Parts: sequence; C-alpha cells; structure tokens
Amino acid sequence: MLNITKTAEGKKFCFALDGSLNTNTADEFEKQLREILPEAEELYIDLKDLTYISSAGLRVLLSAQKQMSRQGVMKVKNAGGFILETFEITGFTEILDLE
Amino acid sequence: MPDKLILPLSGHIDSNNSAQIESELHEKIAGTEGALVVLDAGKLEYISSAGLRVILRLKKTNPDLSIINVSSEVYEILDMTGFTEMMTVEKAYRIVSVEGCEEIGRGANGTIYRIDQDNVVKVYNNADALEDIRHEREVAKLALILGIPTAISYDVVRVGDSYGSVFELLNASSFSKILSREPEKLDWCAREYAAMLKKIHGTLVPAGKLPDMREKALECARFVKDHLPDGYGDRLVSLVEAVPHDDHMIHGDYHTKNVELQNDEVLLIDMDTLSVGHPIFELGPMYNSFIGFSEYDHDTILKFQGFDHVTGRLFWRRALAEYLGTKNERKLNEIEDKARIIGYMRLIRRSIRRGCIQTDEGRQEAELWTKELIGLLGRVDTLTFNANEIELEAQPGNLAEVQEFVDEHLRAAGCPEKAKMQIDVAVEEIFINITSYAYTPDKGNAAVRVEISEAPVSVTVTFLDHGVPYDPLSKADPDVTLSAEQRQIGGLGIFMTKKLMDGVEYEYKDGQNILKLKKNL
Repeated sequence: MLNITKTAEGKKFCFALDGSLNTNTADEFEKQLREILPEAEELYIDLKDLTYISSAGLRVLLSAQKQMSRQGVMKVKNAGGFILETFEITGFTEILDLE
Repeated sequence: MPDKLILPLSGHIDSNNSAQIESELHEKIAGTEGALVVLDAGKLEYISSAGLRVILRLKKTNPDLSIINVSSEVYEILDMTGFTEMMTVEKAYRIVSVEGCEEIGRGANGTIYRIDQDNVVKVYNNADALEDIRHEREVAKLALILGIPTAISYDVVRVGDSYGSVFELLNASSFSKILSREPEKLDWCAREYAAMLKKIHGTLVPAGKLPDMREKALECARFVKDHLPDGYGDRLVSLVEAVPHDDHMIHGDYHTKNVELQNDEVLLIDMDTLSVGHPIFELGPMYNSFIGFSEYDHDTILKFQGFDHVTGRLFWRRALAEYLGTKNERKLNEIEDKARIIGYMRLIRRSIRRGCIQTDEGRQEAELWTKELIGLLGRVDTLTFNANEIELEAQPGNLAEVQEFVDEHLRAAGCPEKAKMQIDVAVEEIFINITSYAYTPDKGNAAVRVEISEAPVSVTVTFLDHGVPYDPLSKADPDVTLSAEQRQIGGLGIFMTKKLMDGVEYEYKDGQNILKLKKNL
C-alpha cells in the first residue's frame, strides 16, 4: 500500500509518500510524477512515512532526478532507516539531493 | 482365528461332582475340534484337587485352554498349585455401570464415560476387547515415554457385556466441550490443538513399535478402488502408494473430543489408533470429524461434537493454519484437498462396510463423497506436501501473497524487523524478475520455499520455476558511483539482492531455474 499526498504551489510540487514503494505501487507514483514533470521547477519528495522501497521505487526516483537535473531542483526529504540504507547501498545518496 | 468355546463353571467342584462335570465338558467340546476352549469361572466358588485334575486333563487335549473371570479366592488356589503358570488365568474384573454417566469421548473402538469426579472409563465396542485394552495401554505408555502427555489406564473392568479400561482424569474438559460452551476461546483452542498436533508429528517412534498408517490407508484405497469409476480407483491407490514411509507419530483419531484440558495441561486420550505415518493420514480423519462426516447432513456434527458445522469448519481452518504456520488460503486449500482424498476414501469404505448405502439417505451421502473424491483425484498430483512452500502463477499481482507467506515464517522464527525488510526486498526483486523473464509471453507458475535453520539461525528462500533458463546473477553489477545522468535505469534489483543477502545462488537443474537467497539472522 502506498498513500501519495500531492501539494502544488505554482511550479513547485511536493509529494509525501506513506507506505511501500514497490513494483505494484511505483506505477501510480510514476504516473502522478509524469503529470507534473513537464512544468515542474521545484520537486520535493517527502519520505518520512515511507517504510519500504525496492528497485522499482528507486527507478522512479532516478528517472525523476534525471529529468529534474535538466530543468530545476529536486530534493528528497526525511529519508531514514531502511530507506536511507537502501540509498547508501545503491549509491543513491550521491545521486539524490537528500535533506 | 479359531472359534472360541466359552464353557461356564459354577459353584463347588470337588470329588463329589468332578466326574459329572468332566463328562459334561466333554459333551460340549465334542464336535468343536480346533476351537479355543475358555473356561468362564465367573460363578465358580471353590475347586478341589479333583476339580483341578479335570482341568489338567482338559488341558492335555486342549493345549490353549484358558480360564477367565476367576474370583480372588479361586485365583489363590490356582496360583498356589502352579496353574497360573501353566495356562492363561485371568482374574475377574470389577463391574462398573455407565448408566446415566456423561459421555465425554467417542472413538472408532469405544466410548468414554465419566464414572466419578476423578475417573473415566473407556468402554470398548468389541466385546472381546482385552487384547485391544492391552494394546492401548502399551501404546499410551510408549507415547508418554516419548514425551506426549496422555492418560494411562490403571484398571480393567467389566461394563455390561463389554470390557472397559479406567483412567484418572480430574477436572478435565474436552476441547469439544470448551468450543461448544465458550466459543470465544476458539482461537486459543486452535492454537493449543495445533501445538499438540505438531508435537505428536514431531515425535520419532522407534521402528516397529507402532502400526504403520500407510499400510492401513493402502488397504482402504484398495477396498474403495472397486467402487470408483474406471481409472479413478487406480489413481487413488497410486497416490497412497506414493506417500513415503514416515516414522513420526500420528494419533489416528485426532478430533476435539480426544483432546482434554486438565488443570491447564493439554493431554490426549483414546490412544488405541496411535500409529506412525505421514501427517496426511492424520489430516484426512481430522477433516472428516470437522467437515466430512457432516458434509451431507450438517446436524451430524452437533450430535457428535456438541458444536455446529459452522464452528467445525472455522475451527478446522484455524487449526490447520496454526499447524502449517500460514494463513495463506491457497496453501490451506491445497492441503485441505489432499486431506479430503484420505477423508472421503475412509468415509466411503465405512459407509459401504456398515451397509449405510442401503438407505436412500446413506446412498446420497456416499454419492456426495464419491463425487467430491473423483473431482479431487482429477486434479491432485500428490498427497505429500510442504508446509513452507507455495506455488502460484508468476505474475506481479501475486507479489504481496508471496511476501506475506515468507513473512509469516520469518515472524515465527523471530526474525528482526530490519532483516525481514531486507528479505522482503530480495523476495520482491527475484519474484518480479521471474514474472518478467521466465515465461513471457506465456504464463507459468513459480514455487517459493522458506526454510529456517538453527545454529547459526538463518533463513533460506528458494525460488523455482520451469521457465526459460535464465541466470540473473550473470549480469554485471551496475556502477553505483556514476552520476544521475550516467546511471542506467535497471539492473538495480539483482544488485540490491546481492547486497542485502548473505548468499545468492543460481542453478538450472531438472528443467528448473533454482534461485536461493540466504540471510543469517
């Protein structure tokens, strides 16, 4: 299960994720990102309540990062515990701008 | 077995009447050559040396002569004169009445009544039950020595025309009684009942000490075979034949009337069917006691167990889930189906043997069981099972089920939360990999097996599929030092799996991709 809370303020968007970002939930998150990515200048992803992430979730974050690197700012907030460890193992701590 | 010729002796036998009694005995024996002669001394008050000589002469022509129902006084004479060593001499039994006594259990061979606050008596159906009683006492002793809590009889008594064995059973309630009076305790009962079952099935029995249930099941399958349509009978026999020999204990009649709670201790009664064998031979009769018997007429179970068929089904499924360590419906259904094959097979034989199919109702009941059995024989490949393995279609929609199945076993093993999460990720990566590559564009199944081993505590999750040979470990690891722009999307799943697990192995064997994940806990 994944709950996605989206807030928008002009070209600044924030997504708060609650639950598991896995093969079955990543598609929905990716779909919501695609809707805003063409116009986004600032993207914040809050992972405070995210408890689980697999490679499917990492792929969505990576492709968002690739696009945002070209057109603006992307920050990943509140990654902790298991999520942060996963970022460390996979080198995502170097790729993502963690806050 | 030769026929038994029971000859009563009564009153006083001495030099005054011994000749007459001897000729009377000869008259009765005449023409029954080969029969086992048994002297019933129930009414014999005294026997002198003249009478003893009659018995000695009788013993010469009937070497297997035995004397039963001997009073203490007469027994003393026989003992002093050495007769008790020459032949079988059985003492008279205390007479016990069960009229008005509460029935607390009923098994294949007898019925158990409470005769007073501290004692129960099991009355055997078979009038000639002394051998059965001896057997049950022996096996109960064996079970006790092997660590299974049970009651052992301390006395044999006469109950009407039958024999009974007496047990001490203080303040005990059967699980049937608890379930019917305190339905809120169903979950607790299911847990305790399953824990006891696991204990029984985990008990290794020295070879030859107990009958082999597989033999009995085979006998039953061969009997039922002739009553099934072409092909199905052979199928039934070969399924039973394929079950491997197993030296672990099974109770043989494990329903809730045979499990007692005595002063917070769970103990077993009705041990006469104690055997060794594969657990499926236990689960079959268990299915019957909760569902099979009352599948046609739902009221049957109420009469027998004291609770209704809804409770029966609910309890069976809960207990099965506890026993197998999974709530996975697919797994429970799979094993229930195997149990039903053994269950229906036994019900059909019982129905035919007891002539139940003579009545309309009995015939319809047997037809229902037969129809179900035929359906199952068409789709069940084996009666054996692996409680820690699940097989399902390799498609992403089944991921949550696979993870939950693995997690159940991890929780039971006391796996720390962090390791559980890491295993969950690895399981997702491998399972999703199989769904993507093994069968595309066709469909196929994958099996997932969870094994926990001790010292050091570790968990192994094995994935098996019959898809195209594919070694996911052969791919080079992604370079995790690259920048976001240079990083490839993909290859991360297997990389994470390798990092999170202590061991990842792949092999292709017997047409299967086999991938093993190992994590030390």
